[in-house]
Amino acid sequence: MPIYPQLATGALCQFPLKKVRRTRTVVNRATDGTEIKLADPAAEITQWRLEYVDLSDQEAQALRDFFTAMEGSLNGFTFLDPGGNLLSATEELTAQVWQKDPMLTVTGGIADPFGSTNAWQAVNSGSATQALAQTLEVPGDYLYCLSAYVRLSPGGVGLILGGETVQRAAGSSWSRVAAVAAGDPSAESMRFGIEVAAGAAVQIYGVQVEAQGGASAYKASTRGGVYADAHFGSDELKVTCTGLNRNSCTVNIIHANHL
Amino acid sequence: MATFPKLKTAAVAQYPLGRTIAFQNQTLTFLDGTQQRYRDTGSARLEWEIRLAELDEGEVAAVEEFFLTNQGAFGSFAFTDPVDGQDYDDCSLRADGLDVTAVGEMRGATTVTVVQNKRS
Repeated sequence: MPIYPQLATGALCQFPLKKVRRTRTVVNRATDGTEIKLADPAAEITQWRLEYVDLSDQEAQALRDFFTAMEGSLNGFTFLDPGGNLLSATEELTAQVWQKDPMLTVTGGIADPFGSTNAWQAVNSGSATQALAQTLEVPGDYLYCLSAYVRLSPGGVGLILGGETVQRAAGSSWSRVAAVAAGDPSAESMRFGIEVAAGAAVQIYGVQVEAQGGASAYKASTRGGVYADAHFGSDELKVTCTGLNRNSCTVNIIHANHL
Repeated sequence: MATFPKLKTAAVAQYPLGRTIAFQNQTLTFLDGTQQRYRDTGSARLEWEIRLAELDEGEVAAVEEFFLTNQGAFGSFAFTDPVDGQDYDDCSLRADGLDVTAVGEMRGATTVTVVQNKRS
């Protein structure tokens, strides 16, 4: 599936970014004020309004080409939430979406760096490195930042971004480790995760992947920020040339569960 | 039972905080101008309008996650009144929509309205 283009900086959008979430609840309200509610999860809609200024001619052309290829709002594409954590179930590392190597034991309820008990401990009882990872349906040629809070691993931890594993030190107190990389340009999916050395134990909290060149504040995520089959919200794209190699435009994107 | 997310400062709300007390009464007016009034509900209904600004990305994400977990106005959660500290164990979000704006780094803003559900 086509992917919404990144800017030359590796960012997906600029500030201000506006995001709208819509759900649908059927409410039967009685005269005494009581309510009977029925949820409709299929009706969930997410919309983004991306306002771009000072785009280079090349960036503006990339947006125009992509809009043309999608034929406006007709065809769907994958959109990576610029304000979200691309991973899902980041507070539940035993969820099915996490691919856990067999010799790795993961337990929850560990004190996290923010005073709660949402951190996890991963113990590798094997004689080879073991990983806890997710595979996302995202393009390999984008720039990604994987970050996590880690502690208690004398051998450090490996941060997996596609085919690359970056080693980072982890001490006895919580520290945030991050790595930035792009994957194989021809890949249509990327694997992100944490590698634990043989015999080592590491405490993990706040694993996050963003499609940009640096880590922002940790965002706990259940659903994940990869939106397949998003659409442009309009059939028109107006790009204003404000100067030499300076362009601006506003893009509306919509993702609906029921489309 | 879910609870409304706190900010990094452990506060639930920022100023200005709107707090509404709503009764639901009926009035019958007779031909001679006299009125008869009666209660339609057994108790008052509370509502809090929580406007949040200057949030960092994690705080905004926590509110968004809470909205999605509750499926908008559908879910029920416990809420502590920021004014008097009283706990209300059955509240909901008022609307099925959540608008989030990020005007800059660590400068997110959103508004949610929490309503106290009436027990059936």
